[in-house]
Amino acid sequence: MDTRDNRPAALIIGGGIAGIQAALDIANAGFPVYLVEREPSIGGRMAQLDKTFPTLDCSSCILTPRMVEAGRHPKIELLTYSEVVSVELIEGETGYHVRVRRKARYVDVERCVGCGLCAEACRMHGRVDSTFDAGVGKRSAIYVPFPQAVPLKYTVDPLACLFLTRGVCGKTFLCKDACSARAIDFEQQDEFLDLEVGAIIVATGFAPFDPREMPEFGYGQYPEVMTGLEFERLVSASGPTAGKIIRNGKEPRQVVFIQCVGSRDAKHGHAYCSRVCCMYTAKQAHLVCEKLPEAQVTIFYMDIRAFGKGFEEFYDRVRREGVLYRRGNPSEIIRRGEKLIVRAEDTLLGEPVEVEADLVVLAVGMQPRADAGQVADLLGLERSDDGFFREAHPKLRPVESGVAGIYLAGCCQGPKDIPDTVAQAKAAAAAAMIRLAGAR
Amino acid sequence: MARTPKVGVYICHCGINIAHTVDVEEVAGFAGRLPHVAVARHYTYMCSDPGQNLIKQDIEELGLTHVVVAACSPLMHETTFRLACQEKGLNPYQFEMANIREQCSWVHAAGPETTEKAKQLVASGVSKAILLEPLAEREAEVTPAALVIGGGVAGIHAALDIADAGFRVVLVERGPALGGRAMQLHKTFPTLEPVAGLIAPLIARLLGHPRIEVLTEAEVTEVSGYYGNFEIEVAIRNPQSAICNLQVGAIIVATGYDLFDPTALPEFGYGQYPEVITGMEFERLAAGGEITVNGKTPQDVVFIHCVGSRDAHRALPYCSRVCCMVTARQAHEIQQRLPEANVTVLYMDVRAFGKGFEEFYDEVRREGVLYRRANPSEIIRRGDKLIVRAEDTLLGEAVELPADLVVLAVGMTPRADTEKLAALLRLSRSPDGFFMEAHPKLRPVDTATGGVFLAGCCQGPKDIPDTIAQARAAAAAAMVPLMRGKVKVEAAVAFVEEELCAGCGVCAELCTYGALALHPVRGVMTVNPVLCQGCGACAMACPSGAMNLHHFTFDQVMAQVDTLVGHLS
Repeated sequence: MDTRDNRPAALIIGGGIAGIQAALDIANAGFPVYLVEREPSIGGRMAQLDKTFPTLDCSSCILTPRMVEAGRHPKIELLTYSEVVSVELIEGETGYHVRVRRKARYVDVERCVGCGLCAEACRMHGRVDSTFDAGVGKRSAIYVPFPQAVPLKYTVDPLACLFLTRGVCGKTFLCKDACSARAIDFEQQDEFLDLEVGAIIVATGFAPFDPREMPEFGYGQYPEVMTGLEFERLVSASGPTAGKIIRNGKEPRQVVFIQCVGSRDAKHGHAYCSRVCCMYTAKQAHLVCEKLPEAQVTIFYMDIRAFGKGFEEFYDRVRREGVLYRRGNPSEIIRRGEKLIVRAEDTLLGEPVEVEADLVVLAVGMQPRADAGQVADLLGLERSDDGFFREAHPKLRPVESGVAGIYLAGCCQGPKDIPDTVAQAKAAAAAAMIRLAGAR
Repeated sequence: MARTPKVGVYICHCGINIAHTVDVEEVAGFAGRLPHVAVARHYTYMCSDPGQNLIKQDIEELGLTHVVVAACSPLMHETTFRLACQEKGLNPYQFEMANIREQCSWVHAAGPETTEKAKQLVASGVSKAILLEPLAEREAEVTPAALVIGGGVAGIHAALDIADAGFRVVLVERGPALGGRAMQLHKTFPTLEPVAGLIAPLIARLLGHPRIEVLTEAEVTEVSGYYGNFEIEVAIRNPQSAICNLQVGAIIVATGYDLFDPTALPEFGYGQYPEVITGMEFERLAAGGEITVNGKTPQDVVFIHCVGSRDAHRALPYCSRVCCMVTARQAHEIQQRLPEANVTVLYMDVRAFGKGFEEFYDEVRREGVLYRRANPSEIIRRGDKLIVRAEDTLLGEAVELPADLVVLAVGMTPRADTEKLAALLRLSRSPDGFFMEAHPKLRPVDTATGGVFLAGCCQGPKDIPDTIAQARAAAAAAMVPLMRGKVKVEAAVAFVEEELCAGCGVCAELCTYGALALHPVRGVMTVNPVLCQGCGACAMACPSGAMNLHHFTFDQVMAQVDTLVGHLS
């Protein structure tokens, strides 16, 4: 990274769209930026999405140019497959000492050219659940999460590699044999990097709600019941089915979406609304109509929250396309013959209904990441009642954390859609730049 | 041209996006046989590192003079490939993109005709590419100051951030006071803090800031110049009226919103019954002491949501984003201050989507506010009560609700003068009438005009925290060029072939950027390459073909068209 002019650096934790945007703004203003990402590639959740609402732009098409820009920016150092392990205030409170653990990839990134021959050769080829594909697709034990990964460097999954888990992988390492760049190195160890930064932006994102907590929907029991994020990978042209909506080997004829799974339900899930599910469901319903014009599409909802620019208009469009919106809370999903049956009370009719389904998509909400508590302890952050990181003031200081020099961006502060995330990330960048400029 | 062109052509599969409908191998084979093509390859993702490495390697090893990538729209990855060329010493303007995704594979079914079209697009790209000439990218110095238009919550925050970062800011406010609409609000939701108390310290800091100049009762009357160096004329319209000229590097538009006028929906009787008021009027009523209507304490209060919103036929098609929560907070206020009152809220969908909103909505219902999902049809007078007639959509029956006070939750509309400002700053507007951002997902504060950024409700309805986040985002966007001190200047600009130019001036009349002027001595047009944005309007209008556009010259474009037409005949 270009640090010649000795300006103070920023640390950004999390390489999703929030972290990427904040990094680009700060770097473009001339400050060095360390962008730490836990996964092997930057891109975050947005890279997993198929199309974006309400404009139906292809998500990775608009994201990858930003990823490439961050990857080659002379002022940005990407620290992927890395984690922040300690943060300490510098004496005089001018910034923070940060220690970053660079996890062993078992691949020499200087040598790896990203050709993928190792993954083809791996004994576990096509047998490991792809986290990126939300479990809908498979990969090898040595992998890149997705083809446009930045950096495009392979990583050995220590939980799936036969050698790393069992100590033996046949007579010879097939991956090493396949790698003409001689990049694979099972001797590699974690490394630690010590940084000094003037400002920190936390952009660690969210986790999707796990619908197993609501057993009445049979998620994990019926293969036809999937989450919204899984549906994104299923419907994505770059996903495991090449964008064909297929479940149990067949195209579904009846598709039911259930909104607010785990949201607005203090007893079984979260009390709060996740802000994006109404619109991502509307978009997914539109994609079903487009790809399977014969299919019947029903959406169960409580309230439709189509509040952003062009959202209401999109909701109107989807209804005109023939999607049936039914106001009601489904109580359970049962199997009857080849079909699933969604039982619900239609609150407009005031009577119980049963709707047949070949595919049920649960619009799961966002929740704080499982390690939000650890991150909060590491940085001295407070958390709101909902578990997300708390901003300094809910009205006037939405990006300050309450700790000097530490700012919040994106969904780690609360659920947000992409434009709101980008706006907040840029706002956090503004706050960080003011501190770095030291002009105050 | 000195050297014989040597072109490299690269066909992208885009995973399956292109390869599933276009036979990429065949297209690459075809391209390899085109004149001047030295190498033609196809690859899964040309934008990936190994894809770019193919180009870099060929430039180095084969000495390519031009590169053509057939892939997605240039809007996506033109910069990516230009930089790859530049890295190996090839001028980035000797790169051309053929769009075989948006203009081919995405809009046609798989088959030989689709592959044929891809070939034509590639061939026409090559025909243009061999005529491409190197252009020099330049940079312009940036005036280290910003203009903020609008003195509401958005404008104040943007101004403070830019000034705190060390730059001079001029804030222009049309009215006599700062604080905007927020100052009219009584309390915040869901935190119930007095709004004026939150804003007043910010105004004090703004007025006391050594780098901020505030001009109230002032309006921007003229904008010229370009990204990095705008010239602004401000008219001050108070007793000391004056004209002020400013130079700034960036502009933030934070002009806010108007409120929907409910007289457009006469069935609610606004303006006819004094008991029917808007949400904003309720704010002033609540802030002013005792809540009384016609001198009496209201017993029955009805709130009506979505007045003018979500109604494409008669009013506004969109949702105004804040009214649900404003109403919830107002209903709470009545419940607290008039515990005897019956409070009913008529809604379509309750949109409680922000942090703590759902929890607040739950609390308000627990306090006894009755939410009824209903479509109100009219308000009539019966005795000394008003009657709100509605269809309760959960009960499926018509209901009549007595009311002493009806509060209409009116939505936000673009300000009446939006068009005037749009013309002044060359801004586009969304179908809903608000200013349009450069990209709805990833560029929410940029505009199509470089150096002009949007903050707050002039871009669309927003609550206070979202407004502040966006205002500070706009500040960040403005701070980037101010801190860098330089901005890139478009290289693909217009130029004049002086021997053909008669100096008629048709082009100058069309130029929205003020980039063209008649040379006082030579009598021909001249182009200011810093002002020119390369739109090409002048080249189209010139009767003698003297105005031309770098990177899109007549020769280059006609070569592209000729190749396409040649395939047809």
